[in-house]
Amino acid sequence: MLIAACGGNGEGLDANGRPLVPGDGGSPPPLSADFDAIQANIFTPICSVCHVGGSAPMGLRLDAANSFNLLVGVPSTEVPSLLRVKPGDPDNSYIIQKLEGHQAVGQQMPFGCPTTQPCLTTSTIAFIRQWITNGAPPSATAATAATVHAAAPLAITSIVPDDVEPVSASPPQIMIAFNHDLDVTQIDSRSMHIERLDPGAPPMAGEIVPARVTVSSANLRALMVWPSRPLSAGHYRLVINAGSPSQFSDIAGHSLSVGVPNELGESVISTFDIEVLP
Amino acid sequence: MIQRLTLAALMLAIIALLRTAPAEAEPYLAVMTGYKCNVCHVNPTGGGLRNEFGVTYAKVLLPAETIDNALDSWTGKITDRLQVGGDLRTDWTRTTAPNSPSQQAFALEQFRVYANLTLIPDRLAIYVDEQIAPNGSQNEEAYVRYGSTTDGFYIKGGQFYLPFGWRLQDQTAFVRQVTGISMVTPDKGVELGWERSSWSAQFDVTNGAANASTGSGYQITTQVAYTQPIWRVGIAGSSEQSNIGDRRVGGLFAGLKTGPIAWLAEGDIVRDESLPGGRTLAAALLEGDWRVLKGHNLKLTAEYQDPDRRVSNDQQTRYSFVYEYTPLPGLQLRAGYRRYFGIPQNNGQNQQLILMELHGYF
Repeated sequence: MLIAACGGNGEGLDANGRPLVPGDGGSPPPLSADFDAIQANIFTPICSVCHVGGSAPMGLRLDAANSFNLLVGVPSTEVPSLLRVKPGDPDNSYIIQKLEGHQAVGQQMPFGCPTTQPCLTTSTIAFIRQWITNGAPPSATAATAATVHAAAPLAITSIVPDDVEPVSASPPQIMIAFNHDLDVTQIDSRSMHIERLDPGAPPMAGEIVPARVTVSSANLRALMVWPSRPLSAGHYRLVINAGSPSQFSDIAGHSLSVGVPNELGESVISTFDIEVLP
Repeated sequence: MIQRLTLAALMLAIIALLRTAPAEAEPYLAVMTGYKCNVCHVNPTGGGLRNEFGVTYAKVLLPAETIDNALDSWTGKITDRLQVGGDLRTDWTRTTAPNSPSQQAFALEQFRVYANLTLIPDRLAIYVDEQIAPNGSQNEEAYVRYGSTTDGFYIKGGQFYLPFGWRLQDQTAFVRQVTGISMVTPDKGVELGWERSSWSAQFDVTNGAANASTGSGYQITTQVAYTQPIWRVGIAGSSEQSNIGDRRVGGLFAGLKTGPIAWLAEGDIVRDESLPGGRTLAAALLEGDWRVLKGHNLKLTAEYQDPDRRVSNDQQTRYSFVYEYTPLPGLQLRAGYRRYFGIPQNNGQNQQLILMELHGYF
């Protein structure tokens, strides 16, 4: 295997190494400020080398089936106050800061650039900037993928802050991403709540923190829970209220499955700690 | 001068004799010396902070020239209980890909500091690995460890790197990318380890990258390695369950010393149901390190990966030629060339890289 001098000859494959689908032309569209083009020219060939599947860093999967859903309107894991893509505002989008190597957002991407691979050029990043400036619209391909996967059950794909993860400051919002667009007509602030658990207190005896529940207009798969006041240091859990799982359904009518509820009929979907930095 | 060198050699011999198992720093050094990871590193699975023996080895046996008084000063120990260390790598690279302008740049690749606070000698410790630069500070490892890291069982809990195959310095190696387990992908959980004579074993239960946000499952990773003076072999496996699809990884790795050359090999196979339609991936590495002279190492690497076993003609290979010169304790210079071969329609899979690196460590 190792003595093969070169790579595959690429016959019958597109530029990303995937089998050609008859009629699709084979090569990616030219890079433009369109999500399809950005996906095909940047996210798929460069980013999804690492950001794919179960081993994706920060849980951020940038393959074509997941990238839009996990980028647009979703708080970043490293800096939750920054959305990964903030429609209309590239300067305050985490992805731009990450690609340009800003000080506050950790290691510059693509990983290892410029040592082991080139960094994205300014002109390449400009296309992503322009797409965000345009409001970060989904692409025709993303819409098609959503249709293809519409038969799958509604499920939570990520929560920020992480489950059982300590965060250093009160997050402005808690983000829950789903695999389908949500039917927002049934979701309101009674659907779920945040609960602060006092040390030593019995389970299910915490203080409920008033919070507002909204769905991102930029991304119907991103649900936000907004505490009415900054969360002080402590241990918290995020709870879907009794009877509410049935309220969480996608636009095709699939209900959310969140496992076995506790004796109060509630489903705890995340717990996290807030710590106070000195 | 001669007296001090003799003293240094004597100290190394004494420290080595006190160890129940012989072991390393970079994997090729482990194979070259016949040591296990825990001989040179605080972390029994290797990498990060060097212990007193590792620091001494790096000062006396690794460099071309040993500086007088080197053993009189730095051992990494601030007090009897606190030991620190670090690595700083800065480099210049030039990357060329077909149909694209070349890019070259100076860069600070990383500055990492390590600390190990011993609370109860040989039993209880807290370990931290923090990347200070570039960009913002980022925690890599932080865990509490209880038990013996040299003979018997230990358990650690917190955030740490998973044990799987060769812990290579190059985190972009195909075997590290395809498995998704490397020294840039720490995970949170617990590890039960066992060190005895020639054996090393670890069993880890962690969140798994796919469950970082959802808590929908766990990742279980295990590794067993058997080390002899001129050869070693190991087997590793990992299984991650999540609601986006399960992922299973298996690997074999081995090392062999033939005269001045240390050989490293690893082969991994991945079944990833989280990818559309499910995919089976494979990766392999063969590395030869020739210790040309004391302080001089020539590293040749051949790598292979198949990103989807069902798809023909999509394989990628990568070949590296790196010369490592360690003139003085704490200083290493590296220069190398790397060539990628992949499908012709993807420029990134056919790039070339020239690298010059300055590595300072303590």
